[in-house]
Order: sequence, then C-alpha cells, then structure tokens
Amino acid sequence: MSRRKHGAQWALLSPYGVWSVIFLVVPLAFVAYYAFTDNGFAFTTENLTRFFTAKSSVTNADGSTREVYTYLLICLRSLKLAAISTVICLLLGYPLAYIMARAHARTQRMLLTLIMIPMWMNFLIRTYAWMTILQDTGILNGFLGALHISPVHIIGTEGAVVIGMVYDYFPYMVLPIYSGLAKLDVKLLEAARDLGCNSAGVLRRVIFPLSLPGVLSGVTMVLIPSISTFYISQKLGNGKFFLIGDAIEGQYTANNLHFAALMAFLLMLALLLCMALMKRLTNRLVYGGGA
Amino acid sequence: MKKIFELRNVSKSFDGETVLDHINLDIYDNEFLTLLGPSGCGKTTTLRLLGGFDQPDAGDILFMGERINDLPPHKRNVNTVFQKYALFPHLNVFENVAFPLRERREPKAEIAKKVENMLSLVMLSNLAHRRVTSLSGGQQQRVAIARALIGHPKVLLLDEPLGALDRKLRKDMQAELKKIQQATGITFVFVTHDQEEALSMSDTVVVMSEGKIQQIGSPMDVYNEPKNAFVADFIGESNILDGVMLDDYRVRFSGQTFQCLDAGFDTREAVDVVVRPEDVDVVPVERGQLCGVVTSVTFMGVHYEIIVDIGGFKWMLQTTDFVAVDERIGLYIEPDAIHIMKKSRYSGLYGDYSSFSNELDELSDDADGEAEA
Amino acid sequence: MKTTSKVYTAIILVFLLAPIAILLVFSFNDSKSLSVFSGFSLRWYRELFQDEATLRSVKNTVVLAVSAMAISTVMGTAAAVGMHRLRGRWMQRAFDTVTDLPMTNPDIITGISLMLMFVFAGRLFGWQRSLSFWTMLAAHVTFCLPYVILQVLPRLRQMDPALPEAAMDLGCTPFRAFCKATLPELAPGILTGAIMAFSMSLDDFVISYFTAGNGFQTLPIRIYSMTKKTVTPKMYALSTIIFFVILALLLVSNLTDEDAAQKRTKRKSNTKKEH
Repeated sequence: MSRRKHGAQWALLSPYGVWSVIFLVVPLAFVAYYAFTDNGFAFTTENLTRFFTAKSSVTNADGSTREVYTYLLICLRSLKLAAISTVICLLLGYPLAYIMARAHARTQRMLLTLIMIPMWMNFLIRTYAWMTILQDTGILNGFLGALHISPVHIIGTEGAVVIGMVYDYFPYMVLPIYSGLAKLDVKLLEAARDLGCNSAGVLRRVIFPLSLPGVLSGVTMVLIPSISTFYISQKLGNGKFFLIGDAIEGQYTANNLHFAALMAFLLMLALLLCMALMKRLTNRLVYGGGA
Repeated sequence: MKKIFELRNVSKSFDGETVLDHINLDIYDNEFLTLLGPSGCGKTTTLRLLGGFDQPDAGDILFMGERINDLPPHKRNVNTVFQKYALFPHLNVFENVAFPLRERREPKAEIAKKVENMLSLVMLSNLAHRRVTSLSGGQQQRVAIARALIGHPKVLLLDEPLGALDRKLRKDMQAELKKIQQATGITFVFVTHDQEEALSMSDTVVVMSEGKIQQIGSPMDVYNEPKNAFVADFIGESNILDGVMLDDYRVRFSGQTFQCLDAGFDTREAVDVVVRPEDVDVVPVERGQLCGVVTSVTFMGVHYEIIVDIGGFKWMLQTTDFVAVDERIGLYIEPDAIHIMKKSRYSGLYGDYSSFSNELDELSDDADGEAEA
Repeated sequence: MKTTSKVYTAIILVFLLAPIAILLVFSFNDSKSLSVFSGFSLRWYRELFQDEATLRSVKNTVVLAVSAMAISTVMGTAAAVGMHRLRGRWMQRAFDTVTDLPMTNPDIITGISLMLMFVFAGRLFGWQRSLSFWTMLAAHVTFCLPYVILQVLPRLRQMDPALPEAAMDLGCTPFRAFCKATLPELAPGILTGAIMAFSMSLDDFVISYFTAGNGFQTLPIRIYSMTKKTVTPKMYALSTIIFFVILALLLVSNLTDEDAAQKRTKRKSNTKKEH
C-alpha cells in the first residue's frame, strides 16, 4: 500500500481511534484505578475486603434475624433474577421467533412492528406502567375482582421484578433469534426431510443448531441489562430487593465513588468471563463437528 | 422393465400460474432419465413432486404402483441432490454424510463403516473431518451425492447438480455420475437445461416446455426425430423451414422439391422441415439443389459455422471447408437429412438464423405473422 | 399459521401491548388515578404544556440527540470506511473489540466509568462543575458510534469493490470516487445508523444519569426524578405524544419502503416479460 493511501486511511480512522481511547479505554482504566484506591487515591484493597466481608442482618419470616454477607447475597440475587428472566424470555421468545420466521412476509413485518412497539416507550415509563398494573389496588387486581377472583399480591415480590425484566427485555431476545431463523435456507430444511427427518427431527437436528448463534446473542442482550438494572427493582420490588445495579447506584448517590467503582469492576469482570464461556460453548455446540 | 414412478395427468400451479399441465410420465428401474428444458418449463417442479416437497393439484403420482401424492419426503425411498447442494453448515463432511443414518439410529460402528465406504466411493476419504464450508464446489458436490446415496434410495433426484461447476469439472462429474449410476443400479432422475449434458448421460430424455412434455425418447430419438419445432431447436442446431408434403416421400420447401424418408401425411399438408447444419453438403453452385450467398463465417475449432442467405431465409451450416463471406455456394441435402414434423404451436418461432445478422426484429415479426396466417 | 401458533402469538402480543394500551388510555383520564378510569379529559395534556421544566427537558433531549447523532454519524462512517480497508490482523481485532465494547458492556458500567473519568479530570484541572452538557454529549457519541459503524460496515462488505475503481478509471480523483460511487451505496446504512443513534440517545437513561450535570436535565432523567414521587398522568400524556410521533415516522418510512419495493417488483416483472 502506498504511503498516500496509508495517510488517507489514518485520517479516517484516527478520530474514532483517539475518541475510543479517551472515552472508552481510559474510563475503564479509571474504574480499576478507583476500585483499588481510597479517597486520597492511595492504593488499598479495603473496598475489595468490604465487598466480600460486609455483613448485615435480615429478618426471617418467623421474626428471628440472621447475619448474611450483604454484597454476596445481592450478587446471588441479581444473578438468580437475571437468569430466571433470561430463561423465561428464551422459552417464550424462541417459539415466537420460530412462528414469525415461518409466517407470510406481510405477517412477519407486522409482527416485527408490534413486538417493537414497547421499545418506543421510554423504559422508565414502561416499568412504571407495570407498577400501576401490579399494585395491590392496581388494574390487575381490579380486573380479577370483577371476575370474583381473590386479589393477588405481586408488587414488591421477586416475581414482580422478574415480570418487569421479562417485559422490558423480551424484544432483545426475540429479534436476534428471529433474524437467524429467517435467514435459514429453506433448502436445508428440505434436505433434512429428504434424508429422513420428520418435523421434530428437522427442528432438533438442523433448525436448532443453526439458530444457536442467535440464541447466544439474545441471551447476552437480555442477561446483561437485567443483571445490571437498578430501576426495575426499585419500582417493582418496592426497593426491598437490592440488586447489584441498585448497590452501585446507591453508592454513587452516597458519593462513595471508590466502592461503586469496585462493584462495577467486579461486575464487568464476571460478565466478561461469562460471555467468553458462552461463546466457547456455542462454538463447540454449533461447529463441534470439526476436528 | 419395472416401473418405479408413474405420473398420471399431473398438474400443478403456483399463484394461478400453471407450471405443470397434465403431465404423464413413466420412470423405469435402473434408468438414467433426464428432464430437459429451458428455465420455467416445469422440470424442477416435476422433480419436487417426485421428492415430495410439493403436492400435485390434480392427477396422481405412483411409486412402485402405490399412490403417494401426499407422502412426506422423509417417508419416501427417494433422495435428492440439491442445486446448490444444501449441505448442513454446522456439520462436517463425515456428519453430513452420516445424517440419514443417525436419523435411523444405526449403531455407531456401522455408521462409521458405511460413511467411510461412501466417502471413498466419491474420493473424499481424506476430507472427512473438514468443514463443508471450506470445500471447493466440486468437493461439495461429491459430499451432496454421497449424502443422498448412503441411504440406498430407490431413486436419486438431481436438480441441476452440475450448474455451479466450471466446464472442465462438469465433464469429469458427468462421467463420474454415469459411472456411479451404473455401479449402484439406482434410478437417476436428472434435471438440466444443458442439452449436451442430457444427450451424453441419459438413457431417456424428457423434453419439456411451458409445463408440458414435448417428447420422450432416447437421446438418438430426440435428436434425429424431433417431434416439433421446439424440440428440434432446443436440442442441437436446426434450420426449420415451412414446407408442403406433395405426397409420401416428397416434400417441397425453399422453392424446390426434395426426396425424403417420411410418409403418412395428407396430400399438400403444411409441415415443418428440419435440416441439421451438419447434414448439409456445401457444393459448387452448379451441383447444388439450393444456392445462396454466405453472409458470415465463424471459426469454431473443428469446423466453420456459416450463415447462408437462401431466398431471404438464413440457414446455418457447419462445414470443414473454408468458404468466404459473399461467396455464392450450392447446398446438397441427402433424403435422410430431411426430418418432417407436423405443424405445432411452435412452428415459425424457431429455426432461422437471422439473429446472426442485424435484421433480427423485422424478420422475427414476419415469422410471427406467417405462423398465425 | 396454525391455530396454536395464532393463539400463542396473540397471548404474547397482549402481554407486550396491554401496558402500552393502558398507558395511552390513562393519559386521557379525568382524575389523578392510574388504576380507575373516571372519564375522558385532556387535562393532563394541558398541564403538560404548562410544565416548563419538562418542556425544557424535552428540548434538551432533542438538542443532545441531534448533536450526538450528527457527530457519531460522521465519525462512525469515516471509521467504518477506515476499518474496512484495515489489513493488519492485530489492528482489525483491536478496532472490532473497541466497537463491541459499549454494546456488550452494561450501561451502568459505561456510565460509571465515564463519570469517574470526568470527576477525576474535574479535580485535576479544578473545574467548578465537572459534569455538563459536554460530558453528556461525549458519553452519547461514545455509545452511538458502534450503532453507526455496525450499520455501515456490512454495506461496505457487500459493495462491489470495483465500483470506486470504475469511477477512478473514468477520471475521478479518489475523493470524488468515494463521493460519487461509494457514498451512494452506503447511504441506506448511514441513514439507518443515524436513526438508531438518534433513538438510542433519545431513550438513554442510565448513562445520562451518571454523566449529567446538574444544570442539564434530559427527559429520561426528568422522568426518573418524577417517578421517585408518585407520577401524575402528565407523564403518560407525554409518552403518548412521543409514541404517536414515532408511529407517524415509522408509518411514513414504511410507506416509502413499500413503494420502493413495489416499484422494484414491477420493474422485475417487466424485464421478465421482455425476455
């Protein structure tokens, strides 16, 4: 390549390169820096120790109290709720994506639009709408009352938080799976039937393995925001269920930037590890045929 | 010979457009049958009906005497080699070939043995664990054939399988397919639009156009005794002229009367006359039955292809002797070089070589007018 | 579609759309209640247009989104062209990773990390207010850039590389060739990227929340602070308006799309007939 061509290329790339270093790479380094320093910016592992050892007491159902590791419990709960939400999204979303991909082109376009409608509403408003629906005196219980069914108490439970997460992130699961399935070559399905597969066999041996990359990106796109959310749990959990996102936000509001940074750092690390693992797994599952 | 497939009055249309129009066809055991025709003639649809991917709107499909109109593909003892192979991208070569065996849950050792045998038959043993996406076109082709053959189908359907290969590879694969067909004794139903391919490989050629079967016969039959102007034009090169049967064995065209071998037409019946370019002898003007002026000469390697204007009709001739443009030459036609066909709806549409000149549009318009008159 | 598929799809759609419908309906409620509909009124729309703080936040949001879109579209398109020509394996991987980063990183981490840097820089240089419109703009451009790049790059990969070469062969300078041959091919990707950048910026709450200065409030932040207390249907009214604006935009773009598609198929069938 000539020197001139090189020059043009760097003129195109360097603004983005410089921008990314300043506003992406350096800030992430600051997370690590803040995580392991104290207010005077001296090195410390105190934040880390606090994260793993801080205890608080919770009240059991029978009124007795017990000591728990505060932040480990929060992490565990975040992971649990995010995992449940992701699994529900996958179980509900995969069949829908499948139905959409097999539908008439016109129907596909219409369904796509309908599924994306909630995304036009601000995320905060959407979540708030669920709060008014699920409240003890809310629309759901009003509806149940009209049918003479005894009211349900949902708001402030983990179930409500899961409903909120599923609702907010469901389209992110459906869309990548759908686009993967829609791209699938019909000839491959015909070939499978030709070679002796019935409908279930085609689904199991051809459609599902080939849709795994879409599933992976769907899972990623639901898991990441739901594990790090802090608004849904505040509104639908009545603030009773602190998630890791709430903890980070709480420390930020309390101006404990160093401890907030440590939690962000650990969250980032855990997610990176998780993603790498999942990518590895699907590679093995999808293209495992090769030596 | 035993009939494997029988199509009885089969019709099929998509979105109101008729694709197959009352097709009747028998396919026999151990036969290499080719469906030949231009794109849109219904040959691929016929193949898809045999494979079970589509169902006929009317008529019956019989397999070994049993009606199978609605039998799904996985219950038919028939396999397909798809046009662009349709290999499973998530499986390697071995697993692609093993696919039907795994579906039948055959024991692992058995599968390994069968797949290895099959891969050595198509000469891919060393590539068993490669990803199919990393193979060349010819190698993918072999995988597709191996995968379709491993379940020992009664019939193998091939949908333009050589279309994506280059010319040289095509020739090799043609020979190889023929060899595999003879070795396995499986009936092959082969779809192509390449007449040369059809003639060189098949036992039976089925020429199709516009959803109808135009002619069924051996390659020699369809070449030497085309049923109508369409078949004559589609298979090989033909000069097709308007003629009149004077009586048995005598036909008049281009202003001359010729001896021929055909009989049984009405007296003074209008007919289409086919003369193959290679069957005409170029002779000095004084010895010719017809004479005309050479308008173009193209060197083709083995022979020259020349266009001769005879009374306004352009003939194509193939000759090994050089003639010059603007030269006047004589033509001599032996009786066995003249094929007489009944008039059909294709009369006047094909078989003159005016497209070699610049007069294309007016001339073809004229031809249309005459056909209607 | 089979009946079971239809029923299944319908149930999911009800789940997805019912809250939106409720929201739209209650924006016209006569009373303050968000669960009992007591009569139709435009009261909350009237109140909305008298709420200056909210209207200002709407204006702020739009200004921010337009600026972020403009910057990220120009920079992102240039970057995509540069990345497409990139040959070194190592550099390619570095740029791919950087582009993926804001998409795979949770928003809360992107937000926190930027905030920490801005606060640190503020301390270092002794700025009075380290967080402002400009820090927010930088943050928005950062998370919008990948959307633009990931829309333009595939277009570049699909494009026939002979196109700009043909233009140069016919006498264009490399820059003119880029403008006349490459850019028109990229236009749909650039447009989609710009629209995505605009809507991501418009809708962003988490990153804005961490990087917002006190003086500059965007709509999502305003909504957040309002939902800390009880929300009046005023917010529903605002959401309803936004909803219909987006709906109108989508309908228009859909119609033009369909028009183009129809023209295309028409042309195709015509050429078919000619043959």
